[in-house]
Amino acid sequence: MTYGIIEPISRLSGQNNNFMITVEHLTKRYGSTLAVNDLNFSVDAGEILGFLGPNGAGKTTTMRMLTGYMPPSEGTAKIAGFDVLEDSLAVRQRIGYLPETPPLYREMTVQGYLHFVASIKGVSAGDRPRRVDWAIERCGLTERRHQLIRKLSKGFRQRVGIAQAIVHDPPVIILDEPTVGLDPKQIIEVRNLIKSLAGDHTIILSTHILPEVSMTCNRVVIIQKGRVVATDTIDQLLNRSDNRTQYELKLSGNLQALQAALAQFPDLAGVQTQSDGDNHLVTVTTNGDTDIGPELTALVVQAGLRLYEMNRRRATLEDVFLQLTTSEDTAEDEVFASETAADS
Amino acid sequence: MRLLWANFVAIYRKELQGYFATSLNYIIAAVYWFMAGVFYIILFNAVQANVAAQDLQGQAGLGAPPVDVPAVILENYLGVLGFLSLFILPLLSMNLFAQERQQGTLELLATSPITTTMVTVGKLAGVLTFFITLLVPVMFYESLTLLQSEPPFSFWLILLGHGALVLLAAAILSLGLFISATTESTLLAAVGTFALILLLWILQAVADRLSGVPAAIFRHLSLLQNYTSLIQGSVSTTNIILFLSYGILGVFLTVQWVDGLRFQRS
Ligand SMILES: Nc1ncnc2c1ncn2[C@@H]1O[C@H](COP(=O)(O)OP(=O)(O)OP(=O)(O)O)[C@@H](O)[C@H]1O
Ligand SMILES: [Mg+2]
Repeated sequence: MTYGIIEPISRLSGQNNNFMITVEHLTKRYGSTLAVNDLNFSVDAGEILGFLGPNGAGKTTTMRMLTGYMPPSEGTAKIAGFDVLEDSLAVRQRIGYLPETPPLYREMTVQGYLHFVASIKGVSAGDRPRRVDWAIERCGLTERRHQLIRKLSKGFRQRVGIAQAIVHDPPVIILDEPTVGLDPKQIIEVRNLIKSLAGDHTIILSTHILPEVSMTCNRVVIIQKGRVVATDTIDQLLNRSDNRTQYELKLSGNLQALQAALAQFPDLAGVQTQSDGDNHLVTVTTNGDTDIGPELTALVVQAGLRLYEMNRRRATLEDVFLQLTTSEDTAEDEVFASETAADS
Repeated sequence: MRLLWANFVAIYRKELQGYFATSLNYIIAAVYWFMAGVFYIILFNAVQANVAAQDLQGQAGLGAPPVDVPAVILENYLGVLGFLSLFILPLLSMNLFAQERQQGTLELLATSPITTTMVTVGKLAGVLTFFITLLVPVMFYESLTLLQSEPPFSFWLILLGHGALVLLAAAILSLGLFISATTESTLLAAVGTFALILLLWILQAVADRLSGVPAAIFRHLSLLQNYTSLIQGSVSTTNIILFLSYGILGVFLTVQWVDGLRFQRS
């Protein structure tokens, strides 16, 4: 580590390709546990990358290595072309980081704290008030700016955590579960904030909440037990799934005619029926993503049934995620699977 | 260089703010002032009585040498203050790093473009400043009483004596800083620091039971021995260097430990 020469914070840097973040063969061992195992991925400048994985997958560990907080056991990570180990200072000048637990001083006011962070991040004294005001405003903290952090609720603390990660306007922003503890309205605001930062900033955010990824990120890296199981854009990931489409129909009347007609129908993967007296819930699964909605309604009408409700359910990111992360079905993963399903 | 200075100032200001925002520190200050005040009154009266008795003897023609009363009071009192500080200083240093570790702010400091050395030095300067502000009222009442004497006592001697106390505090706080970096528990940090400085304090007693080279080494390393010779007015560079060495050792160990903390987990 060299501390002597300090160059100005600059977006332009020693990188020789378009990647802002490059991770190669990154590995971390804690004693005998392999927390991160041979990770490889890269992030374009201006992109938002979602880092997705169940609990204990190694998200936090990876982010700690990217920010230079912990050294990798093997492999390299580069931010803006600078190695996190060899050019630690250059890396630290270019990142904003929200750790898993927001690093807050309880006895400081929101504004005082952000001033302090700006000063240790190298924002010049003249620029600090403007930067602090900006961060306070962007994170919806205006009314709390003079309050002691110790007196803030969890959600507001999380916002202060996000504010400290962006107060010095770093080119690379690394957020470990940024929306934890926020209310639904704030979650939307934080997502919008993150999206608005893209372009000028390169962002990595970790989460195990799926809608978060599909709403904010350009690309996703899904990890499981320290390994990458998929890196792709959201659309590509969705295409990757087996493309089944499900229709759910709530009907009443005699089902026999419909069932007979469906038996003749081409390209169906299955038909399930749940009945409660005269009311029925029929689930029709197709093999491809063919759109059979119009045909289905026609059949229902022909069969003389009354239709109350009809839903089409496409494969979601959640299905893909579950498919990818439960491949080695362990009991632990199954618990997690049911949790995410309930999440969204 | 300018950047290092800016880092230092940022940490130093944050630490000072922290000291004045923490209610525990006001309690510590109050207790310190109270104890120091009580001891001063006791000592002042005891020395006066002693001197009066000697004067009587002198008048009776027994020929005791004249006593420099203010110097005797100051010397003894600084001894008391030094001993009191053994109990106060661990309480001041216990939070320095333990709290950063416990509340996760070390992760912020470690991923910011500042050096661990500047963080450590800034913290040490902050806590030392706080300790010096604790001494200001004490020096005030000392001056009020001691400077009344005839012939006049020099204010510089008071300042010099307290300089020795600050040196002692710097050494202890620096070691306390290191202990505080080794644990997340502030209680452990306080107890550990107290144990360590107590040991360094009584090295002299150990030395008295030994002889030869070990005795000399122990005596040389003893905080009490060095402090006593400083407040007795024999300002020697070896004493000063010893305190400074303890101070630098503490900073060095802290930096090694804090940086190692992240690296050793691999
Ligand atoms: N300091 C540590 N010492 C030892 N093992 C650790 C340490 N930190 C993490 N681990 C282990 O490394 C693995 C990855 O943990 P990590 O915190 O990176 O997961 P994560 O993906 O962030 O999970 P979560 O979603 O729960 O935050 C886990 O098995 C964990 O037990
Ligand atoms: Mg985590």
